[in-house]
Amino acid sequence: MLENAGSRLKAWLMAGIGTAAAIAVAGVMGAFGARHEPVPVLAPASRIETGQWLLRPLKAYVTAEKNVYGAPLKSGGKALVLELEMTNRTAKSTKDYFEVLQPNPAIIDPATKPFIVLTRDSTLSPELHPGMPERMAYIWQLSDGAAPPASLDLTIIHKTYKQRDNLYGLPGWFNPTPIGVLMLPVGSGPDTADIQP
Amino acid sequence: MTRKLANIILLFVAVSLCYGLQVSKPRYGDLIGPIPSRGRLGDTVVGRSFEVRVEKVKFAHNLKVDRFGEAKILTTGGVWAVVTVEFAARAQSMTVAVASWRGPTGLTYDQTERLSFTDGLLPVAVDPGLPKKARLIFEMRPAEASNANLLISEKLMSALDSQAEISLGPVATGSDGLPAGTVEMLDMTQPI
Repeated sequence: MLENAGSRLKAWLMAGIGTAAAIAVAGVMGAFGARHEPVPVLAPASRIETGQWLLRPLKAYVTAEKNVYGAPLKSGGKALVLELEMTNRTAKSTKDYFEVLQPNPAIIDPATKPFIVLTRDSTLSPELHPGMPERMAYIWQLSDGAAPPASLDLTIIHKTYKQRDNLYGLPGWFNPTPIGVLMLPVGSGPDTADIQP
Repeated sequence: MTRKLANIILLFVAVSLCYGLQVSKPRYGDLIGPIPSRGRLGDTVVGRSFEVRVEKVKFAHNLKVDRFGEAKILTTGGVWAVVTVEFAARAQSMTVAVASWRGPTGLTYDQTERLSFTDGLLPVAVDPGLPKKARLIFEMRPAEASNANLLISEKLMSALDSQAEISLGPVATGSDGLPAGTVEMLDMTQPI
């Protein structure tokens, strides 16, 4: 009977040690780091790398002008404009920049899609070419009567390169994840000075 | 004993053979990719449905274009390359829609989308027996100008279709890092 109890205790102890070891190994390998941690706040004067793009925010402003870089805006309304320098870091020309910046839904209705314009000659959403920095403008139409925000909060989305995706076995950029939040002061007009690094 | 050893060796051989097969297996993307037909500047490159010949390549700082009746100057952060090509359809009318410039480092520059309003750009419809000239316009880093390849295909996903791959050869570099013979302005309003 006693002998039996001893071997039972031994079995319990072994099982306990095994479980503890498994949890410790999982902890060392970072299983508990996968909690949803708040994304870091990025400095406005920094260069932000998002996998495909290198971003340098330049300025944000609200304007009531009708012709902002030739974007087809509704007349009488106001528009929130973000100007930034974008460099394509990939090996191919691409225009996969529609989801890189996501404004805070409290400021801009998520259903409002921005006009994305090359400021050089007001081309609407052109492909950007590898290694060539270009100044781009994101133009959001603000809803009528909305007060212009004091600060533009953006979530920056990063994508990861996969040599072969699981569906077609072809290379591409996948898995959008937020890497940080950017808060830019909103100026009162197009003459707002650029953010200096 | 020898029998056991022989079995173990056989097992290793089988494992390495299987691993080799797995590693060297062609990927789906390679299997269904475009089929290149290669050539050089000045050659007529024959594809499945079209023939193409590159006549000349010119480099410029700025392009002069006509946008809805008013002259406009297009600047660039790099250099413009304007390639004059002649297309011919082989058996039936077809449209050539896609061209890209692959530099010596493998960076691929698609045809610019900033001149969509100019005549003579892709897509170009070609009919058999009626060869047609076209301009392919690229914007690129100056370092990608020399020893480049021009890739021309009928449509964007040219899976299992031919793609003309034309080697444009070396281009001398000037003292300013730009290709030699880069002109200040090219007039795109002139006929090809």
